Amino acid sequence: MASPVSVYSPTPMADRFSSTSRESLKMELLADVSLLPGEERIIDKDIIYVCPFNRAVKGKVLITNYRLYFKSSEADVVMALDVPLGAICRVEKMGGASSRGENSYGLEITCKDMRNLRFALKQEGHSRRDIFELLFKHAFPLSHGLPLFAYMSQEKYGENGWNIYKPMDEFRRQGLPNSKWRVTFINNNYEVCDTYPTILAVPVKSKDEDLRRVAAFRSRGRIPATGGGYEGDEYQNAELVFLDIQNIHVMRESLKKLKDIVYPNVEESHWLSSLESTHWLEHVKLVLSGAIQVADKVSSGNSVVVHCSDGWDRTAQLTSLAMLMLDSHYRTLRGFQVLIEKEWISFGHKFASRIGHGDKNHADQDRSPIFVQFIDCVWQMTKQFPTAFEFNERLLLTILDHLYSCCFGTFLYNCESARDQHVRSKTVSLWSLVNSRMEIYLNPFYTPESGRVLYPVASMRHLELWVTYYIRWNPRIRQQQQSPVEQRYMELLALRDEYLKKLEELQQSSSSRLANTPNTTSSTPPQPYTELHTPL
Amino acid sequence: MFSVKPTKPTFRSYLPPVQTDVKKTIESPPKKVEPKLLQGEIVVNEVNFVRKCLSADSSQEGLWGKLICTNFKVSFIPTDPPSEQKSHLSHLLLGLHDIPLTCLEQVVTVNDTKGKKKVLGSNQKLKFNPTELILYCKDLRIIRFCFVEAGPESAKKVCLAIAHYSHPADLPLLFGFEYQGRRYHDSKGQRVNDRGGLRTPIFDRPSDWDREIKRTGASEWRVCSINENYAISPSLPEHIVVPVSLADQDLKQNSIYFMNQRIPVWCWNHPNGSALVRMASIADPLQQRRIDQRFIPAITKSHPQRSEVIRSDLDKCLPNIQDLQSAFIKIRHICVIDSFEESEERWLSSIENTRWLEYVRAFLKHSAEMVYLLDGKNTSVILQEEEDRDLNCVVSSLVQLMLDPHYRSLVGFQSLVQKEWVMAGHRFLDRCNHLKKNDKDESPLFMLFLDCVWQVMNQYPAAFEFTETYLTVLSDSMWIPLFSTFLFNSPKQRAQYLMDFAKNKAIPQGEDQLVYFPPVWDWSQQYSTADQTLFNNPMFVGKGAACVQNGEVKTFRRTKKTYSATVRGTHASLRNGQKGGEDSLARRGSLLSELKPDFSLVKDESPSERFFRDWFSRPADQQSLLIPLLIPSHLALWKLYFLRWVPEACIFKGGPITAYHKLSQLVDEIEILQSHLRQYKGTRESGSTQLPGLSGPFSSQRRMYFKASSLQDPPSPPDFLTSSFPFTPSGNLCRRSTYGTPISKFLNGARIWLSTETLDNDPL
Repeated sequence: MASPVSVYSPTPMADRFSSTSRESLKMELLADVSLLPGEERIIDKDIIYVCPFNRAVKGKVLITNYRLYFKSSEADVVMALDVPLGAICRVEKMGGASSRGENSYGLEITCKDMRNLRFALKQEGHSRRDIFELLFKHAFPLSHGLPLFAYMSQEKYGENGWNIYKPMDEFRRQGLPNSKWRVTFINNNYEVCDTYPTILAVPVKSKDEDLRRVAAFRSRGRIPATGGGYEGDEYQNAELVFLDIQNIHVMRESLKKLKDIVYPNVEESHWLSSLESTHWLEHVKLVLSGAIQVADKVSSGNSVVVHCSDGWDRTAQLTSLAMLMLDSHYRTLRGFQVLIEKEWISFGHKFASRIGHGDKNHADQDRSPIFVQFIDCVWQMTKQFPTAFEFNERLLLTILDHLYSCCFGTFLYNCESARDQHVRSKTVSLWSLVNSRMEIYLNPFYTPESGRVLYPVASMRHLELWVTYYIRWNPRIRQQQQSPVEQRYMELLALRDEYLKKLEELQQSSSSRLANTPNTTSSTPPQPYTELHTPL
Repeated sequence: MFSVKPTKPTFRSYLPPVQTDVKKTIESPPKKVEPKLLQGEIVVNEVNFVRKCLSADSSQEGLWGKLICTNFKVSFIPTDPPSEQKSHLSHLLLGLHDIPLTCLEQVVTVNDTKGKKKVLGSNQKLKFNPTELILYCKDLRIIRFCFVEAGPESAKKVCLAIAHYSHPADLPLLFGFEYQGRRYHDSKGQRVNDRGGLRTPIFDRPSDWDREIKRTGASEWRVCSINENYAISPSLPEHIVVPVSLADQDLKQNSIYFMNQRIPVWCWNHPNGSALVRMASIADPLQQRRIDQRFIPAITKSHPQRSEVIRSDLDKCLPNIQDLQSAFIKIRHICVIDSFEESEERWLSSIENTRWLEYVRAFLKHSAEMVYLLDGKNTSVILQEEEDRDLNCVVSSLVQLMLDPHYRSLVGFQSLVQKEWVMAGHRFLDRCNHLKKNDKDESPLFMLFLDCVWQVMNQYPAAFEFTETYLTVLSDSMWIPLFSTFLFNSPKQRAQYLMDFAKNKAIPQGEDQLVYFPPVWDWSQQYSTADQTLFNNPMFVGKGAACVQNGEVKTFRRTKKTYSATVRGTHASLRNGQKGGEDSLARRGSLLSELKPDFSLVKDESPSERFFRDWFSRPADQQSLLIPLLIPSHLALWKLYFLRWVPEACIFKGGPITAYHKLSQLVDEIEILQSHLRQYKGTRESGSTQLPGLSGPFSSQRRMYFKASSLQDPPSPPDFLTSSFPFTPSGNLCRRSTYGTPISKFLNGARIWLSTETLDNDPL
């Protein structure tokens, strides 16, 4: 029996697909696929999955308006693939009707989430024509005048994640407005800057008139506004610090190289030098050390103006990472959501261009994994400070999965003005999903320490490749939902609670026993067990 | 400015009062500028007004005091010691600034004004007055002293003394021989004359072997004492385990054909009956057939299924001792000697070029292959190495560590080291190069083994009873010459030296060696009971570990049977009936060093890869077989060991220790609860009216280093925790000519321009 290729499904209801019972194989092969509300079947077809780890596996593929689902029909191979169409970067035909060799005719799919898929079909009767066309159309709906799945999804959650970030509340939390900074609504209709949010905090002394004039000089009207929102001396006496962080094209190529050395197989012979030659960790390091400098300046009482050419890529990385280091609120589960909403979504990181949601132009030079790199930096920080973050690695994985999935409205569009109000009313926020099952995203080791500034060590000695993200498709690696250390801690917490309960019961029964036998004078019942605790 | 130098720890005690089993001589009053000397320790030379560098930049802060060379250590006594904070492990026999002479790798003197530098050996002359002394230590520390204000002649003398005394002419001149003799006589009468509290089997007597045979169910193997008084082999232990079908006479006759007369000896038995055996090469190739016909059938006979025997020649497939030594030198160089900034640039490829991790992986991989043979293929395995004293030690102990959870307990691990290293005749004396006589024999095999153990531990953090701190402390103990464990090349050599030692020190005949020259395993020699709790892994899922199942507290109890069942498991190869039963019968009696490729569903996959993939597809059972993932991306540099002294790599209030801190607190709380519950139950059953209070007797034997926090005590990690904990980089890694402000570590790769242009100039 071959071992199952691990099923990793980034769909909200992942659990539904994870087990494949033998009985269902006997019945209709795809009968047990439960679709999301609003998800519709497009086509299904017999196909061969040319598994790069295994041999080719016969089975059936199902394409919906949300996903590509493959399931083995071979009795001894338990395997399923579940890929949101949003994760597909490129679909190509492989081989021709006259190609020789086994499984040489079919489809080649390149994904944005570090994997590639190959399917083979029978070399007769243009067997791939319909599936290719339908897959192409639905994987890239925006190129075909179709809506993204986020607009079709009917999923309902208990909480509305769109309410997580309210700019005025957030300014208030930071003590704004104050004597140095004021809140301005000059961008209410995106007339000053179409890629900025409508509400901004700016130095008190800068008049709205001046801001409008400055905007005319700056790239796309992006005036300096509060990043961290930390108090200081307006923009005066500023010190310019240039960080050697590379541009978006370099980052894109770097991640591509990384994919080459981890998928399908990890480069065995010269792993570390291959990893070094991708420069991915080096870029992560430069971004982190840039953020450390920003955080350091801010915490020593200086204001910092962070800028890159446009102010939505490296700027977003640096401000958000610096804020994560400085403000423990952003290290909570909800605070982190606010941080992403504020510094990335609201301040106009061009998600649509950088990710290319629903767009067939895979070679678009605007695409770049800037946000992935940010999440990687956050992961590096969580590794260095295992108790400082309320959320766990699973949250970061979920965020990256839905960065591509197009299941939620959160990462769609380039900026607030393009996002308009329809997104909020017609799509679901990723935070609705996250906050409806928060418990699985909580780090049991979290120890709140308000006011603590975190300085990670931005050194190659500590930076690690995030294998649970970049190398997760490899079936030779046991897939763990939780780190073993976290898992063990949870077990121990459960054990502690169980003992506490038992002890309480014993205390109650013995005190009642003692009450019945008033003669036992020498004994005092044990104190209720309250003196010790290990807070979550 | 952010804090780069250690933030001043505000000390909060998590420890019960230190046990006062420490000798009085060690605890001298703190104010005096006098060295703390052990019994038998004498001051050789000393110099005043010395400055010990505390950071890489020599112009910066330092500590003034007296530098002393004794017959045991280099000691530095600060004139005005800073109030000591409990942020590190404190050694009972060595102070914060002490370095045992055996721990010195290189003694370097420098004269800055003359631009001169000399590496000092034994009995050498020094033509200049040193302005600086740099000590490169085997535990990877680099300590530096400045003599600018010191008397030049006395400084020179101390340097020469340190160099001279760190090159002892002969083994008995190592300080342990002096110390243990005195200690034996001084503490006589206080001691019960047995092996004390030592629970670790030493394997110097038949009963230890017998117990191991019974524990593993190796009924077809027997203890054999033909090597009593080392009559047959000079490097095997006196008692060995051999197939029951081989008679003593047979063994004696055939032993001459093996290198060092190291015949095949038993190491371990799998519950399925397969045995792990080790042996030296056959000295005379012409005798190969004869040996094959004698020993192989006997080993096959000792297998309940009479299954085939596979021999693995480690010399052919693993790096040799020189390869390992050169890799270790290189990786040490990159980690502690090279400038932090410069090595940062090509860090990953530099680490790769040392090949250390590649070798770690090779040993783990080969061991995993052996595990497959024993467990998946149900065959007995013979590890063969020319001398059977180096590579065999590593592989045989790793195989057992993966297969048998017993060896992942603290006592089990120590017995494994005792069995496969110390008693198996690993040349600790030569490999450690304690006498600094023959550099080409030096090789970090034991260190390599510890790194391999760490890799498995890193992947299965709940599977070991002990911590990486324990492994690190164990590696450091190699360089303290006070314990018998790492001082000798073989049990025979130990017996000889200790016999002479006993004679010279008037120790009565028949006294147990372990009593007058104890092994490292008696940890109370080095650390207080409280500090030893740092060895305990709070995550450990051991035998009898409690767990919660369906809201019920249950206990894992493993009888022998269930243990065998889990170890054996049900493997694809057996299930599918792919094991060529008849085939192996036909080839029984012949040495097979090649595997027949099995038919398998997956292309390009060897049977062992298939076995591993099968195993990885199931959840791991911590108390059963463990196979580490050996993809290069899943092997890591052992940071605590290699980087603990590097200040630039130190994460303040961070690193894995902060999770350990929380785990430790939680487990402490659980143990208090358990104790309460037990007392409740005891009360019930005995009908006694004595009820438990919180300050019960258990508080003195608490196993966890960090105690459960109380409500008044916030649960945040204490300020003294760093990624180097329980070690401290301060003053322990002072490389020369590394300049830079603390901030530079953060500015790596970034440049700063201060601009006169401010935003004022903008048309605001």
